Amino acid sequence: MNDNAIVLKGIGKAFSGHVAVRDLSLEVPRTSVFGLLGPNGAGKTTTLRMVMDILGPDSGTIEILGQPADHAARDRVGYMPEERGLYPRMVLEEQLVFMAAIKGIARKEALRRLSPWLERMGLAEWRKRKTNELSKGMQQKAQFVATVLHEPEVLIMDEPMSGLDPVGMDVMRDVMLDLRRRGATIVLSSHQMESVEKLCDRVALINRGEKVLDGSVAEVKSRHGKNTVALAFEGDGSFIESLPGVARVTDFGQYVEVRLKDGADPQPLLHEAAKRLRLRRFEIVEPSLHDIFVETVTRDGKEAA
Amino acid sequence: MSGKLRAVVRREYVERVRTKAFLIGTVLGPLLMASFMIVPMLAGRAGAKVLRVAVLDRLGTLGPALEDGLRATRFDAKPRFDVQTAQESPAAEREAALKAAVLEQRLDGYIAIPEDGLATGTASYYGRNVSNLADLRTMERVVGDVFVAHRLTGAGLDPTRIRDLTRGANLKTIRLSAAGEREDRGDAFILSIVLMMILYTTILMWGQLVMTSVIEEKTSRVVEVLASGVPSTQLLWGKLLGVGAAGVTQFLVWALSLFVLSFQGLAVGGFKMPEIGPLVLVSFVLFFLLGFLFYASLYASIGAAVNTVQEAQNFVFPVIMPLIIGMVCFPAVLESPDGGLAVGLSMVPFLTPLIMFLRIVVLTPPWWQIGLSFALLVLAIAGAVWAAARIYRVGILMYGKKPTFPELVKWVRHS
Repeated sequence: MNDNAIVLKGIGKAFSGHVAVRDLSLEVPRTSVFGLLGPNGAGKTTTLRMVMDILGPDSGTIEILGQPADHAARDRVGYMPEERGLYPRMVLEEQLVFMAAIKGIARKEALRRLSPWLERMGLAEWRKRKTNELSKGMQQKAQFVATVLHEPEVLIMDEPMSGLDPVGMDVMRDVMLDLRRRGATIVLSSHQMESVEKLCDRVALINRGEKVLDGSVAEVKSRHGKNTVALAFEGDGSFIESLPGVARVTDFGQYVEVRLKDGADPQPLLHEAAKRLRLRRFEIVEPSLHDIFVETVTRDGKEAA
Repeated sequence: MSGKLRAVVRREYVERVRTKAFLIGTVLGPLLMASFMIVPMLAGRAGAKVLRVAVLDRLGTLGPALEDGLRATRFDAKPRFDVQTAQESPAAEREAALKAAVLEQRLDGYIAIPEDGLATGTASYYGRNVSNLADLRTMERVVGDVFVAHRLTGAGLDPTRIRDLTRGANLKTIRLSAAGEREDRGDAFILSIVLMMILYTTILMWGQLVMTSVIEEKTSRVVEVLASGVPSTQLLWGKLLGVGAAGVTQFLVWALSLFVLSFQGLAVGGFKMPEIGPLVLVSFVLFFLLGFLFYASLYASIGAAVNTVQEAQNFVFPVIMPLIIGMVCFPAVLESPDGGLAVGLSMVPFLTPLIMFLRIVVLTPPWWQIGLSFALLVLAIAGAVWAAARIYRVGILMYGKKPTFPELVKWVRHS
């Protein structure tokens, strides 16, 4: 049995001259959480839409659950688009049952499955209300229920965390991990890498329609070495950037992540920082995906130039 | 029917039927029909207020005869005029008195016969209200009769005998068809126009509804979820069938109430409902469905291609243009329902639902013509749905600039 949930081979898509996705190949292993990461306009949404056959790829092939992507295969996938969409004037229950029905679930069965989900997402008392009476956050949760009600084996979610409050994010993360434990594969896209980095087993970073790098999160990080220093402090840290051995500083104000030049020793940085700042933390860490992405993209850009 | 298609049909039907607009339309339709038939009937009776009139006879010989003639006029077995007898007084004085009486509303009006009235065949009516055409025609007829009778008597002839001898003929029209023969007094003509108007408005109305529902799905962004679950052709068919079924439901309610009405109130007023044969009934529903499918799929493509209802207006016109042409052509078709123009127009899929239906109502066309027009229309529907599904697939994800016609053609060819 094929152990990949989704396999993309060399898919490409162009819109009237502008190339959105170029020769992209990906493998999403089963029962993993896969992050498709990249800045806005990188081609994440276009890629996911091609997987769902909302857009036809210009080239390449797509396999879902070990078979060429067709409607039967897609019925085993749940899709939550970036642009959330529900019928505004439909009663919530009807709406969700309908969404399950177009994925091939009979009404009775959908109704039976609905209650636990509504309970879990805190929507039980809204069951008979029209969707446009729900708050934005509740609509978001309803959308999620619509995505999972047919118990898909693969979940594709475009920017699932955007627009959620911290509590909502926690609920969403819990549910996703729970679904994975029960054997589902989750593909999610995000342009905010830090918000999903801890959730993902594997990631692919894409930029301008092309894959920059991919692999398991641990693999990607170890490939980039342990030459990042996390510093938390009180005082003015602006001098750090000009210290010898420092390649790049990501500044969060009272917290910075310092990327050292290859082979540079962190000790001089520690001494200098301890002298001039009131340090609360000094730790050698793996680089964040954000840093790896920025670094790879700028390096590639320089090479190309 | 696959589960997905059934789900879409069901949703469209249930959501449509639950709207207030549907409820109002369904209830209001029969009420309007009833009021169209019953109100004029009641108005005809209630309006039959007896008119208070007087006669001012400057000629001096016709007054009593005219007064008698007016008194004898009946409508619905009731006197039509309350005639006030003239007093013996000079004409000028009397005219002033009559004018005053009319203005003071003691009188509704008076008829004046001038001195040369008999020679020139003229008389005048003075009244506050001169727009009651039916009453005016009646008075004209009575005055004319009195003049004629007076002239005949003057020539030594017996007016009653002359009237008997010169009575005209009444040409009855009997419609012959395979189903038998029946008398027809223009009912078929009126019926055909009424039914065609209903077809025209309902096809456009339900078609527009499909368009706005597609646009709504686009604006609410539901469409991306739908497209990830249902192939666009099924989505489109589901929409067409669901909305079409809602339309047919409304017709059934209307037909049922019409049926009940024609038994209850209508026979009383003497209004005879023209008999609607089974062929007319079946073809009405069938042509509604087919016409709806055809136009609604065009409307759906428009909905998929644009972002707002306002933007859609530019595209809507070319689509309904043929229907308008059909409406313009209908007198010519009625004039000669078997003529070349009528046969030709009824074969054009854009017009078949109206023109072929019209022909079926006024005279049963040859079966091969009905069959051919159906076949062509069904083919056209298949083509329209096919093209619409392709435009749908491309268009539903297109936001922003609205496409031009050449771009739409490209969508159809390349998707």
